[in-house]
Parts: sequence; C-alpha cells; structure tokens
Amino acid sequence: MSKLSAKNVLAFIAVALIVVVFAFPIYYTVVTSLSSKTFISQGSIVPDMYLGNWRDLFTLPRWYNAIRNSIIIAAGCVGVGLVLSIPAAYVFARIKFGGDRHFFFWLLTNRMAPPVALSIAYLIMFKSMGIWDTHYGAILAYQVFNIPIAIWLLASFIVSIPREIDYAAFLDGYSLWTYFRKILLPALRPGIAVTAFFIWMYSWNEMFMASVITSANAKTLTAELLTTVGRLGWGIEYGVAAAGAVVTLIPGLILLYWARRYLIRGFTFGRL
Amino acid sequence: MRNYAWLFAPALVILLIVGVVPIFPLVNYSVQTPFQEVNKFVGLTHYKKMYSDSRWINALQRTLLFSVIVLAIEIPLGLVLAYFFHRPGVLNSVASAAIILPALFPYVSIGLMWRLMTSTVGPLGKLLNMMGIEYNIAINATQAFATIIIMDIWHWTSLVFLVLSASFAAMDPTPIMAARTEGATRWQIFRYIQLPNLTFPILFVILLRFIDALKIFDEAYVLTSGGPGFSTEFATQYIRNVALEQWNFGYGSALSLVYLFMIIILCLIIMNVLTRGKGVI
Repeated sequence: MSKLSAKNVLAFIAVALIVVVFAFPIYYTVVTSLSSKTFISQGSIVPDMYLGNWRDLFTLPRWYNAIRNSIIIAAGCVGVGLVLSIPAAYVFARIKFGGDRHFFFWLLTNRMAPPVALSIAYLIMFKSMGIWDTHYGAILAYQVFNIPIAIWLLASFIVSIPREIDYAAFLDGYSLWTYFRKILLPALRPGIAVTAFFIWMYSWNEMFMASVITSANAKTLTAELLTTVGRLGWGIEYGVAAAGAVVTLIPGLILLYWARRYLIRGFTFGRL
Repeated sequence: MRNYAWLFAPALVILLIVGVVPIFPLVNYSVQTPFQEVNKFVGLTHYKKMYSDSRWINALQRTLLFSVIVLAIEIPLGLVLAYFFHRPGVLNSVASAAIILPALFPYVSIGLMWRLMTSTVGPLGKLLNMMGIEYNIAINATQAFATIIIMDIWHWTSLVFLVLSASFAAMDPTPIMAARTEGATRWQIFRYIQLPNLTFPILFVILLRFIDALKIFDEAYVLTSGGPGFSTEFATQYIRNVALEQWNFGYGSALSLVYLFMIIILCLIIMNVLTRGKGVI
C-alpha cells in the first residue's frame, strides 16, 4: 500500500509538472492582458487587474473590427464548407471509384501546400475578381483546407450509417432531397457538429493567407496580431495584443472541451 | 439505385478554383518580371537564380535542419508521454488535456505567448538571466534558433501525443495481458507487442509533422522576425519577403512553386513508405 501511494505521489508530481509547463505560457498571456504598462515592463507574473487592455480591445475599431471579421469569416466558412462538403462526402462514402488513393493524395496536397504559394496567387486572382480584402475572398480561399478536412470527417461519419437505409428510402420513392432532409441530415447531426467545429477552428486560426488577402476591410484577428507585432516599438502594445491573443484561444478551448474524442479525426483526416 | 455522383461537383469546382487554378498565375509570373518598371519575359532566369542565392539556400538548409531536429525530439517525447498517459483516469486526462491544448491555438498566438515569455522582462528571459545565462534572442542567433525549436516542441508534441495515445488506447489488450501472465517485463511488452502496432501511426504522424515543420512561418516570424539578421529566417519567410516585401513577384512565384513541389515530392515519398504492403492511403 505504501509503495502504491509513493507511485501515486510520483504520478501526481509528473502531471503537475506537465500542467505547469503547458499552461504557464497561457497563464502569462492572460496575466499580461490584465496588466498595466508599468507592471508588464517589470515582468510581474501576477496581474494588477488593469482592465484598460480589454477595454481597448473592444473599443478600438481596428481590434473589434478584427474580431468581427474573424467571426464573420469563420461562420461563413462553416456555412459554405458544410453546404459544399455534405453532398460530396455522401458520394465519397457511398461510391467506390478507381482513383480513390490519388484523390486522397490530391486532397492532402491541398492541405499541405505552403500558404505562401497559394497566397501569392490569390492576391492576383482575387484582385482581378474584385474580392480581395472582402469576407467573400477569405471564405473562398479557406475552402482550400476546409473542404478536404470536411469531406473526410463527414465521410467517416456517413460510412457508419447503414446503406440499407438508403435503399429503403429510395424504394419508398424518396427524392434525393427528401432523403437528405429526412434521413441523412438527422442521422449525421453529430458529424456535422464536429465538422463545423473543426472548420471554425481552422478558419479562425489561419493567419498567413489572411495577412495577404485581407487588409483594411476584412482583416482577421490573427492577421491584426501579426500587424501589431510588425509595428515599430510594439512593446507598448503588449497588453492589448495579449488580450487579442487570449480571444484567439477561445475556440480551441471549446473544441478541447466539447469534441475531445473527435480531435484525432480532425487532425489526421480520419485515417487512423 | 439512382446516380448521384454529380453531388460531388460543387465541392470539386471550388477546390479546383482554390487548389489548382492558382498554379497557372504562379507559373506565368515566374518567367516574367511583373510589377516592375518593364515587365518582360525572362525565361528560366528566376529558377537559375535560386542556385546562387545564398540567402535562399541558407533559409532552406535551416528549415531542413529545424525540421529534422524538432521531429527527432517530438516523436520520441510524444511516444513516451503517450505511453504514460493514454489510460483513462482523472490524472491522465488532466495531463493529456494540457499536452493537447497548444495544437488547438492559432500559431500566431503561440508565437506571441513565447515572445512575451522570452522578452528581456518576460519570466523565461528573467529566469535564465538570473541563472547567469545572458539570454537575449534579439541579439544571440543561437539562442534565437534554440528558442524556436523549444517553442515548436511545446506546440507540436501535442499532435504526436494525440495520435499515439489514441493508438495505444485502441490496442487489443489480450496479447498484453497474456504476455504479462507469462512474466514479460514492461519493456518487453512495449518493444515486442505495443511498438509493432504503432508503426503506421508513427509514420503517419512523421508525415504530418514533417510537412508542417517545413511550412513553419507564423510562430517563428512573430518570435524573431527572422532575426537577428537573417539568422532564423526560414524558407517560407524568405519567399514571403521576396514576393510581398521586396515586391519581386516573379522570383517569389518561382520560389514558391519550387517549394510547393519539393513538399509534394517529399509527401509522395513518405506516403509510399507508409503504404508499402498496406495500401491504406
């Protein structure tokens, strides 16, 4: 018994150490967001509960517009991504076709392409299409990584819905539309929710493309953080930047809490 | 059974627009000098220039070195953490939640956190200075590079852990229990029963991590902006600098195409290793 409890103490210490290592940078960012300039420059690890940074975040137009743009773009990506991907995932889960492996590879390269290559091209394409620096442009661009992951996630949920239900529905004379509305979508609800979360997270987290294809009108929160860091003498804005960073963490925290058992699928294309 | 394959079309069209069409303007610009005084056709000049562009070659080598180092640390570290914390239980779920957390945050915010931590007044910077190490990543190139590596390990051991702990948990417990009753040591069980089952997940996570490491931009840029000098400039940073700051669009397009194809070829090689005799992907 004493041996067991010694082992438990060791395990407890190890876990505590891990939590400190991984949580401390997050804690310190929260502290910075709640500290006044003098407190930050003294490097204190407890905040003086100065709320000015948070007030700035929600009253300075460039910050609250950035938050608003990030929300609009992420929500738009969820809507557009789901509408495009649910039918595609249905086909993908139900019909086996020859180029399966190559198709998977192509989808993967879309996700693996360095954003720098795509962004340069988007800059030119979107300017000529008139959607540069608009929410539409960002929503369109983000489909390059959202559609592949959404198709894969949704397909992995659809394969668990028995095919016999499809046959029965079609025999009963259901149109494709009625089948989707009355059978597939209700059965797919958890899959749709998980996919929506992942699309939201990937779109919300994206920074590189946003910094190239959005500017004054549609700049996202992550791109605004980059701009702030690039500004000369940004040290004076540590506090509000930290507050902005804390806001960017929220979707990830929600995902960890709510969709933890699906995380692995969202990160590995459901291939494991 | 009716034919509904056309349902794939809308997603496919959008994917072609954002995934394939962009290649054409890139190819087109890579043989010209767009947005400069005279836009003329220069053939393969930009592609030849890469061989003698020492800043590019340095950035490329640095990116490869960085990727190899972080993989060499993250894979074993993730494996060890997964081995100890994959079982259910309160302590284990607290630990795994903490480890997984960084994977869910925007890269730019990770960079920002670490910039706050490692500034001269930040806790990490202060701690090291108190220990007698003159730590300042704005001046010391080696420290800057090491800090980026540590930040990446902090950020991405999460993914290795996530994949491998799920694989540990999904293993059939019967052979493990049988081996235990036969008196096998923990090491023997790990080496001869668990590890062989992890080959595919390990290779898969190497693929994911390697390609992500090659694309490093946000965190490193926020932390050091490539400095001091160009000493921590990675490949994507240099391409971005050429195309969007020096506004040398032709050369930038050529660089990004070459980098894109390098990653695709690498991806192909690793995928072939992965699917050998398996055909899973």
